[in-house]
Amino acid sequence: MSTPATAKPHKVVSRQEWLEARKELLAKEKKLTHERDAVAAERRALPWVQVEKNYLFDSPGGKKTLAELFDGRSQLIIYHFMFGPDWQEGCPSCSFLMDHTDPTLVHLAQRDVSFAAVSRAPISKIESFQKRMGWKFNWVSSGNNDFNRDYHVSFSPQEIQGKVEYNFELTEFPSTEAPGISVFYKDKNGNVFHTYSSYARGTETAVTTYNYLDLVPKGRDEDHLPFTMAWLRHHDRYDSGYLADANKPYWPDFNDPASSSR
Amino acid sequence: MSTTREIKGHEVVSPEEWLVARKELLEKEKKLNRERDALAAERRALPCVGVEKKYIFDTPSGSKTLAELFDGRSQLLIYHLMFAADWDAACLGCSYVADHFDGALVHLANRDVTLVAVSRAPLDKLWRFKQRMGWRFKWYSSYGSDFNRDFHVTFTKDELAAGQMYYNYKVQSFPMEEGQGLSAFYGDQAGSVFHTYSTYGRGVEAFINAYNLLDFVAKGRDEQDQKPIPMAWVRHHDQYESDYFAGILASVMPGASRSAPEATPSAPPKSKAHDCCSHHSP
Repeated sequence: MSTPATAKPHKVVSRQEWLEARKELLAKEKKLTHERDAVAAERRALPWVQVEKNYLFDSPGGKKTLAELFDGRSQLIIYHFMFGPDWQEGCPSCSFLMDHTDPTLVHLAQRDVSFAAVSRAPISKIESFQKRMGWKFNWVSSGNNDFNRDYHVSFSPQEIQGKVEYNFELTEFPSTEAPGISVFYKDKNGNVFHTYSSYARGTETAVTTYNYLDLVPKGRDEDHLPFTMAWLRHHDRYDSGYLADANKPYWPDFNDPASSSR
Repeated sequence: MSTTREIKGHEVVSPEEWLVARKELLEKEKKLNRERDALAAERRALPCVGVEKKYIFDTPSGSKTLAELFDGRSQLLIYHLMFAADWDAACLGCSYVADHFDGALVHLANRDVTLVAVSRAPLDKLWRFKQRMGWRFKWYSSYGSDFNRDFHVTFTKDELAAGQMYYNYKVQSFPMEEGQGLSAFYGDQAGSVFHTYSTYGRGVEAFINAYNLLDFVAKGRDEQDQKPIPMAWVRHHDQYESDYFAGILASVMPGASRSAPEATPSAPPKSKAHDCCSHHSP
């Protein structure tokens, strides 16, 4: 389904010439790595907010509190996975992120971090979609609580007619569900603190595929698309290009030449 | 190995106060994203070098040339995975990187990219280790070719003895005979192959998604007490003391899944595990 652009005719040089250009770029790459370290340090220095509300999530094993999602560890990453209550399947872009998440879990656990995805879809829908995708991470439903509203990742159909509060600003947003990451800390007394949230491109570093694409000659190669992620499909649907929700409730309106031709 | 260090006395504020601090940080994060985009554009603008040498790799379906590794696509990423001919297992840090490959493969393929790993160890060793790790990505042996030498990820005994080798674009002291890195190639329709990019050291860190996620949490990577290298906590994913997916069980019955893998006969001796000290070289 993808229509990769032809790479532009590229300048071919001697090894020596390449090396000079490469070393120049390397100095900038190192600078960016250090800037990234510095921003991560500032992130850790952010103050925290105590979570007073008692959120109850539906999990495959029954009701769970936010504190229980820590699973014995003191840090919890929640991925706000876009999966509305009346959708047939989870958002393809969120699924893209999750394809890169499962392999991290065993290592994150060694650094005192647990992970859970949270969506508004009922747990039965979540379970069958997760089975289809073959993911192992913990995934719970917030369909019966205020969690998604409080963390600014769910909006009413009326609200998205105008501007909603997303990514720390009032903005137009095409879907009732939005993506993001929220991070929590639990102390020894069981108090839970909200330490961090990031939305939109704030979670992009966690999409390893994009990080790889940033190294190849064509890059992400999304300039000719109606929106950046229009090429994406669920990992089991690249051949068919099939998306179960005809109205694509997770994406901006666009005419997809790939799906209309199938 | 794992840590339960408690954070004490961290500043707790009202949601309104937090929002002010968070928005300030958001501006810096956005700036960083834009700088990353700009750098990626500069990377794409790099010239490339024609690959003239005929490298031959051992693969499960016989010998293959570099051009054949593209697998019908026009862009090829090769991860130089540290596994010397006489090692029993791949480097710990490289295995940590490789744990993240499989989830990306199908998406990369739909952006015209083939991602593979190349190591110097003979193919049968790679195959056995790949089975143990449960990996699906393609992994080829450069045993008997100059590939690793030419891309500066294998060093000679003389270089090791002298403590001077060329790695990450400079002559430096590197502790092992193998180095890690990622190289990018472009193949045109005439079958010519061009080397477009290579990165080493911390240049591969963005592909370790566990690190990308740790950069969001309160303790961060939490490696300041790790000795002798920041990655000292990393093990092959089947060698951690606890089984992550038995975590829920363990929280109910402490000790339930805490078997000591070192004591089981199948576990390779720790001394045979090699580590990439290079990931964190400045």
